[in-house]
Amino acid sequence: MRPLRARVLVPLLAIAFLLVVVVALAGFQRRERRELLQADADRILDDPRLAPRALAKGRKVFLANCAVCHGADGRGSTATGTPDLTDQDFLYGTGRASEIEAIVLHGIRSGDDKGWDLAWMPAYGHAVPYAREKLPSLSPPEIEQLTSFVRTLSGASGEDPKAAAAGGALYEGRGGCWDCHSRDAQGDTAIGAPNLTDRIWLRGDGSRRDISRIIRDGLHGVSPAFRGRLDPANVRAVAVYVASLHARKGN
Amino acid sequence: MNLPAGETKVKWNKWWRPDEHNERRSVMLCAVAALLGLLIAGAGLFSARGTRIAGVPPEDVAVVNGSPILLSDYVVQLQALYNVSLSDATPDQKRAALNSMIREELYVQRGIELGLQNDFTEVRNSLVNSVEAQQEIDGNATVPTEEELRDFYQSHLANFQPEGVMTLTDYVAPDQGSAQRAVMAVRSGKALAATMAAEGLKSSGATDDGEEFYFAAEQHLGPTLFAIAKSLQDGQVSEPTADGGRVHVLAMQSNRKPVAEDFNAARDQVLASYRTDKIARMRAGTDRFLRQRADVQIAKALQ
Repeated sequence: MRPLRARVLVPLLAIAFLLVVVVALAGFQRRERRELLQADADRILDDPRLAPRALAKGRKVFLANCAVCHGADGRGSTATGTPDLTDQDFLYGTGRASEIEAIVLHGIRSGDDKGWDLAWMPAYGHAVPYAREKLPSLSPPEIEQLTSFVRTLSGASGEDPKAAAAGGALYEGRGGCWDCHSRDAQGDTAIGAPNLTDRIWLRGDGSRRDISRIIRDGLHGVSPAFRGRLDPANVRAVAVYVASLHARKGN
Repeated sequence: MNLPAGETKVKWNKWWRPDEHNERRSVMLCAVAALLGLLIAGAGLFSARGTRIAGVPPEDVAVVNGSPILLSDYVVQLQALYNVSLSDATPDQKRAALNSMIREELYVQRGIELGLQNDFTEVRNSLVNSVEAQQEIDGNATVPTEEELRDFYQSHLANFQPEGVMTLTDYVAPDQGSAQRAVMAVRSGKALAATMAAEGLKSSGATDDGEEFYFAAEQHLGPTLFAIAKSLQDGQVSEPTADGGRVHVLAMQSNRKPVAEDFNAARDQVLASYRTDKIARMRAGTDRFLRQRADVQIAKALQ
């Protein structure tokens, strides 16, 4: 049997060693967190030292919090109107990590005062199409005309030119569509109004049925605000990760 | 006092022999353990998330009387004021943006000190709106399971029906007799337009724009006639109905009743509706909770 002294000393030394390891790890993590948070979010992807760590951490956060809607690959779903995060078609902003970080923190139509919430797609087939502004409802034939016009914007063939022209008049006039989607129908990333000319569809596949449904029932997806739910370093990391998804494809 | 090497060794050996009673050793070990405990507790206390005692945390740019100014807000401020990113901002721009945010924080704190929420309606409204917004944020962050979502859809089917659509003509008759004759003739198979014209019935013009949603038809016809119109099938004419001092006959060309969309097609609407419902329940719960814990005394005259 070992002497009692050894039996006491060995565990004591082991505890001391463990403590040193724990303290060193905690110190390393704190330093890593500080570096990540104090760097310019838009430059992290170009930093060979910070980028791999941010991406690894960001992917974990993404899978735990964002993948439930955007999918594990970040491609979203046109069935539910969840944006594809891997393409270069930005609904809001220009795809910079700092902009994405603000969206992660404050959300889109989340109720957070600092989040994006400047406009909703009105539901023209309802008695009150838009709660914030007085807009007229459209009749089913008018919705069909507008649908024809929107489809011609992205080069769809087979639309009745007369109906499309009538839809164009509604777009420019009573419907007030130009106000958000702009006169050239290329949308406005300052308010989240999609480009109608690029054949990239947020919901559905650009068919008559899908476009007509959106005009009739509106569209206003929500991205939750994660402020207070995620550690700021995790928010930063997931923003960098999401920025990397489209940056990789773009480059 | 310097001891010879052998004597020191003997003393250490004696000190570390656990089978022997040693009061000094006990006190020393207790002191070391207490110190270690204090160190761990201190580290936890001063470095816990959200603790802003030991300097400015990395996620903040400043701490004003214990209230943080977030780096993310600062970046937005730089963008809003100068349209520059954190890296591209000049030192002057950074300083000015930070000063404006510190000033704002100081004024907010001063406002609270002065109790401005008691004096300014705008401040009170903002506070109420902010508490409600917090409930909205929480509700919108809810991620229901697929099963919960399907249950919600089943129990709220009516919410996921698009508006019904109808095309009809609202005829106005000169009197009850001609209206009754026209209805009988059409029901016996006579042509609608010719029969109505022959009996002197004319369109009221209320629904002459063609196909329209139910809500629009209700606005155009009024509640009494709309209730009748809703029940008509394609090609049917209604009984003569007196409404607004005139006798009406409704001729339905097409009536597409609302049918709930299937779950997959309506999934995004179901989720939005689920969250809206949850927010409403959270608000009601908060109202109850606040009232339960509050000491509200009401003047006798108003009791």
